[in-house]
Amino acid sequence: MLGEFEYVLITAAAGLGDAAYGAVIREEIEKATRRNCAIGALYTTIERLEKKGLLKTWMGEATPQRGGRAKRMVRVTPKGLQAAREFFEAMMRVSHNASWVVSGLEGVA
Amino acid sequence: MTSLAEMAAGFLGADERDMVLGDLAESGADVWSGLRSVLGFVVRQQLELWRSWRRPWVASGVSLPGSLLLLGVSFALSEDARNLRRSGSIHWTILCEVLLMLAWAWTSGFMVGSLSRRTRWISTALCAIPCLSCVLRFQDTSLSRFCVLLFLAPGVVGAIQGIRRVQMQLRHAVVLATAMTGLMLVWSGMSAWNWSLLLPSWFLVGRGERSEGSRKGMVTSWEHGDKSQQRS
Repeated sequence: MLGEFEYVLITAAAGLGDAAYGAVIREEIEKATRRNCAIGALYTTIERLEKKGLLKTWMGEATPQRGGRAKRMVRVTPKGLQAAREFFEAMMRVSHNASWVVSGLEGVA
Repeated sequence: MTSLAEMAAGFLGADERDMVLGDLAESGADVWSGLRSVLGFVVRQQLELWRSWRRPWVASGVSLPGSLLLLGVSFALSEDARNLRRSGSIHWTILCEVLLMLAWAWTSGFMVGSLSRRTRWISTALCAIPCLSCVLRFQDTSLSRFCVLLFLAPGVVGAIQGIRRVQMQLRHAVVLATAMTGLMLVWSGMSAWNWSLLLPSWFLVGRGERSEGSRKGMVTSWEHGDKSQQRS
């Protein structure tokens, strides 16, 4: 099963689609989690997920905004999507009776 | 951001350097956060490599004891050469020693280089520390203190070839390993510990066999593909 950060990374990359690369994934994660995301943590996790076949990466084009340096583009593989779905479902199952979920549902009702 | 982070990024590969420095430029990171990010990545990457690979551990296991043994071999060779020079005669065992020292150093360097491509700084440090310590503590006045470093040149050449993934043909590897084993059996004046220096030469044989096997596998599948295409 995926780790928490692995799930966050895959979900952010999947949401960005073809525009997913290191810097924007990092920005997306920081925005969603409201926590700082270290470049080291991001890229070592990307590397690990690529080895597991959950992500595919390649070097993209260089832009002047990046000082003429190339981007590392990221795409989630079908296996990666499946792993993220399984993680999400497991979290939903395990949270089923959690007080904050139940109280949240009561609030909605 | 540029100078310090770029210097620290020297520990990374070309692509990794590009993506990290590009990300930092894009996010407008200042000098210290840029440096912290790059160093953080280097450290995490190394930790990840050491956690998930057997290879760096094997390379370190060869690098440190191998350099200790080869320091001893270089010193013994220098001593024997000095004694022979004094006696004025040339004995064939010195040739045997020279050949073995070159082969041991090259094969050990090759094995370390090919196993620790991304952790080569640690392997280099593990070899450099005993060398430096030995040179600084050297006490024999009749020999240069640098005589203990005779093994370094062939070792470094081997390591560079290992890092560059130079392939050795199986039959060449077998000839080298067999010749080294033969020389070691013939030469009686050798320390028993030196037998462990034979390990890298047989590692080369195993590696040659594996790459030849995978090449054959590719050719066979290629031929099968051709035949099935002809049939269809």
